[in-house]
Amino acid sequence: MNPLRSVGRVFLEASETVGGITLVMWQILKAMLPPRFDRDETWLNLYRVGVKSYPIVIMTSVFTGAIMVIQSGQYVKATGATGLLGWGAGYAVLAEIGPVLIGLMFSGRVGANNTAELGTMRVTEQIDALRALAIDPMLHLVVPRFVSMVSMLLLLTALGDLFALVGGALTSQFILEVDWRVFFQGVIGSSLLDEYLTGLTKGVVFGASISVVSCYYGLGVSGGAAGVGRAVNNCVVTSAIGIFVWDYLITYIVNAL
Amino acid sequence: MSAAAGEVVLQIRNLGKWFGEVCVLDGIDFEMRAGEVVGLIGPGGAGKTVFCKICCGLMEPDQGSVEVLGKDLGTISAKERQGLRERIGLVFQNYALFDFMTVGDNVAFPMRQRGGFSEEQIAAKVQERLSEVDLPRVRHLMPGELSGGMKKRVGLARANINDPELIFFDDPTAGLDPVTSSKIFNLIRKTQAQRSSSCLVVSHDIDRMLPACDRYVLLYQGRIHFAGTAKDAMASADTVVRDFFGKEAGIIG
Repeated sequence: MNPLRSVGRVFLEASETVGGITLVMWQILKAMLPPRFDRDETWLNLYRVGVKSYPIVIMTSVFTGAIMVIQSGQYVKATGATGLLGWGAGYAVLAEIGPVLIGLMFSGRVGANNTAELGTMRVTEQIDALRALAIDPMLHLVVPRFVSMVSMLLLLTALGDLFALVGGALTSQFILEVDWRVFFQGVIGSSLLDEYLTGLTKGVVFGASISVVSCYYGLGVSGGAAGVGRAVNNCVVTSAIGIFVWDYLITYIVNAL
Repeated sequence: MSAAAGEVVLQIRNLGKWFGEVCVLDGIDFEMRAGEVVGLIGPGGAGKTVFCKICCGLMEPDQGSVEVLGKDLGTISAKERQGLRERIGLVFQNYALFDFMTVGDNVAFPMRQRGGFSEEQIAAKVQERLSEVDLPRVRHLMPGELSGGMKKRVGLARANINDPELIFFDDPTAGLDPVTSSKIFNLIRKTQAQRSSSCLVVSHDIDRMLPACDRYVLLYQGRIHFAGTAKDAMASADTVVRDFFGKEAGIIG
């Protein structure tokens, strides 16, 4: 096949996806003005998205914090600058690694599940049934998921940050034999509030990105069970790309300010 | 406001629908009056489901106009369309029950979403509708625990919960055994008689459909090939009509 044609096709497909995702985002914003919620569906989603995700977020975060400490440990030990251990791990975890890894775990668990659920509803005509029953699928299905994912990824990022620091402190104490109080003094003394807020902002943006992408692929499913599988696959890949693109943009903007 | 007896509840003019190069519906003109039960028949792939979905506003036509209960679907606002959908019902070919809800919640769902009813009122009406379809004790079951025929009947109960004026049945007996099919058609006729609603029944199960419908429309190759009563069909000299009614229903020699 003509390589130019292949490149053109990929470009057109990417444009179609970005355009479709933007349209879904626009429809969600329109549906939320004035703010209207399906309260039961929102509570249900907050539970499924948030409460059921915290074990994997804690696991990911504890090990992320521990890895950061182990990685920087050899240099800290060599130089004797143990006070930098908390700063190094805290800086990397709060601003960058924490939100990104939690976002990726979240997209794999919640985003993929959301696409599969909406996709199955689509191929079994349940979404058409909602419309036929005078119920707007955007208000009943999509907005509660959007609200839940955004708010819960913010909270999960905050929770993950805390557990990452706990993981770092434990590793510092028991593996590097650097007192955990020294570790936390390093974190607190380095004024990492900006990094912490940047990380939380990333959590909100990643949550919005994952929810819109997963709803876009879920609502657009065609072709039965195979179509649902393809949509889930596309959702995971696009969500991951979205996380890195948004991470780059936010980091760039924050550093430019 | 509900439609008066004899008033036109569904008016279709020059309806056309294409899927790429394939023309599914081509210049359909159709009219249905309040209180009527019309059978829409035709071979598989004739466009019956597409016709049904266009009439419910779930699919947009490429040509022509569709007027449901006096409202032109092409010109009404989204809000008006939402209001109109509260006055119509649709029973899906593949049930389309919400698989994450119990049967009771499925049937109650349109009423809860509409609002203005207490939980006691909703529970009473759900029980009434489920009893009408001969399923008084399944409200706590999940749709996955029901047979195909039971799912169809739950779909019927759900479509009826808000007392719609016009109900579309998209192949309500697809995949069901002859006895259950007859029961479903009897239920359609019974509920229609109780509420004086108008029904459009899509099916190719003509022999079991016969006692349920007032008249028939045969959709063939994207066009209305025949419209009339069963008697008219039997008297027809048209080979397609004779073939279809004869082969499917065994009415004509």
